[in-house]
Amino acid sequence: MERRQDIVLGAVFTALGIAAAWMATSYSGAGGLYPMVLGVILTLLGAVVAARAIRSGADKERVLIGAPVKMVTAIAAGALYVALVVPLGFYTASFLLMLFLPIALGFRQGLYALIVAVVFMGLVYLVFSVLLEKPLPREALVSLFGTGG
Amino acid sequence: MDFYVSALANVLTFGPLAAMIGATLLGVFIGALPGLNPVMAIALLLPLTYSMEPLVALAMVAGIYNGSMYGGAIPAILLRIPGTPASIATTFDGFPMADKGEAAKALKIACWSSAVGGIASAIALMTVGPLLARVTLFFGPAEYFWIAIFGMASVGVMVGSDPIKGIMAAVLGLLIGTMGIDSLSGQARYTFEQTWLLGGLDLIVVLVGLYALPPVLQLAEKCDLKGLSAAQLKLTDVPFKRGEIRGLFPTWLRSSGIGISVGILPGAGGNIAAFLSYNAAKNASKEPDSFGKGNPQGVAAAECGNNADNAASMIPALSLGIPGNVVAALVLSALTIHGLQPGPQLFHQNPGLVGGFMMEMLITSLLIFLLGGAVATRVFAQFQRLPGVLLVPSILILMCVGVYVINGRPVDLWVMLAAGVAGYFLEKVNVPLAPIILGMILGPMAEQSVRRALLISRGDATELLTRPISATLAIATLLMITWPIVKAMRSRRAAART
Repeated sequence: MERRQDIVLGAVFTALGIAAAWMATSYSGAGGLYPMVLGVILTLLGAVVAARAIRSGADKERVLIGAPVKMVTAIAAGALYVALVVPLGFYTASFLLMLFLPIALGFRQGLYALIVAVVFMGLVYLVFSVLLEKPLPREALVSLFGTGG
Repeated sequence: MDFYVSALANVLTFGPLAAMIGATLLGVFIGALPGLNPVMAIALLLPLTYSMEPLVALAMVAGIYNGSMYGGAIPAILLRIPGTPASIATTFDGFPMADKGEAAKALKIACWSSAVGGIASAIALMTVGPLLARVTLFFGPAEYFWIAIFGMASVGVMVGSDPIKGIMAAVLGLLIGTMGIDSLSGQARYTFEQTWLLGGLDLIVVLVGLYALPPVLQLAEKCDLKGLSAAQLKLTDVPFKRGEIRGLFPTWLRSSGIGISVGILPGAGGNIAAFLSYNAAKNASKEPDSFGKGNPQGVAAAECGNNADNAASMIPALSLGIPGNVVAALVLSALTIHGLQPGPQLFHQNPGLVGGFMMEMLITSLLIFLLGGAVATRVFAQFQRLPGVLLVPSILILMCVGVYVINGRPVDLWVMLAAGVAGYFLEKVNVPLAPIILGMILGPMAEQSVRRALLISRGDATELLTRPISATLAIATLLMITWPIVKAMRSRRAAART
């Protein structure tokens, strides 16, 4: 497992290095030379990692993802949250994430999750919107009622 | 002396003082929650400090850093779960003490030892830092280039278990640092015709992703649905024996020295300082067998050692512009946010700010004595009753706020997410993340310095190696990179012989 992972890692960095060096050929003067040198070094280092893994006889176990379903759930929820935070508004999207992600991960105390979500969002509102006055994505619901009214 | 008096006067005003108190408490809280760490907390905090005074922002960094290094001892002692990697050694004797019903005593020793280590470290920063900064007056572009390369090489080699992967991470960071408009030639590099990439990838966006998302994903994988019961967090006071506190002084002195020495070395972190201090205390003890079975000296050594690393790690960062660890890199990022250029000139151009930050490191260490005592410890320990699964969305939301407020661009959220997922997998395959960030910070300085040096010498590359300081730094860098290879070859030969 460790061997295969290192071969893939080395190959990815080698590809990145080649791409960086190749793109740097279109930049003129020292502004191109510096990233090209870095690209070449990255290529060599990636090749060393891959070659070392290929030559190595031992293949120790190295777990890449401990709990794949939970991990994918968390990443998918994060991506969905990022996608919805602007169209829905920061507080609406965040409240939904606070409420549903723990449940998606197996937490079965809905009322507990709701209370924590309300308290946490209240604190976030006080700190970021009232105290620090940070501009956050506007709430779609507020805009809807604002234009409707 | 005037330098420190004026720094103290600047710091003892309402803003920095309130920030130090609040952040030290927040730091203890963060350290007490397993899964959260000081790097993640400071990374989340930095974007919110844009509109603050620099000394207020740095006060928060100092408070969280010192507070969380102590806070990590709370779960280490009560549950044998290190709150931060630096508190692993605290579990060795802290948990056996708690098991014997001496949890409150162990927490008091951890609190005092952390404060002593932090204070000693801050004093070292205040004395050694300015002296080292004077050396930089003799530096030209060639020296700045080698300083940046040496910093990255040492962190790349010393952080993590595989030096080649460490250096590979540093080169990746250097490459990411070249993205955007080249400040010397004005041409766009690696921007893929995207206007939002013209300024390059924002350091804080990448940093929040790399350092905050992997622990969140690990918390999701672990999926703690219950938290701890009240019975598990019950503390009973056990009085100190006569002379027991006095007996800790030699350990504090030794551990402070070790922690400071480790802190100055780029790449070595608080966990190394704690382990070395613990071993030194064990070797010096008349009863080495009692270590690991609830010896208070073990708790004192580990906690004093890991906090003594804190301010000392800022010595190369503030005087030379080389961040010795990720928190030091974050401090340099905080300075960048406020329009200050990290590097050897920082001490000379902004003495008030540097002096103020050093004072803040000292005061927040003192605050651990006052705020981190039994009462605060009891309160923060109670937060461990919260199921870990509820922290997952909470941290994700804080990450998004922090990243969004930097530029107000949704695309930054995607960059953060991508950096975080990449960071998660890179850590799993033993590629350290710290060199990537250091590469991004030091890369522009390295590039500009080498190009200026070549301009001055009219393209003569030997200029980079012929000046005494630059030649010394180049040799040191070469040794730093080749030493692990030589060591690996020797051990392979030794293994082949046996």
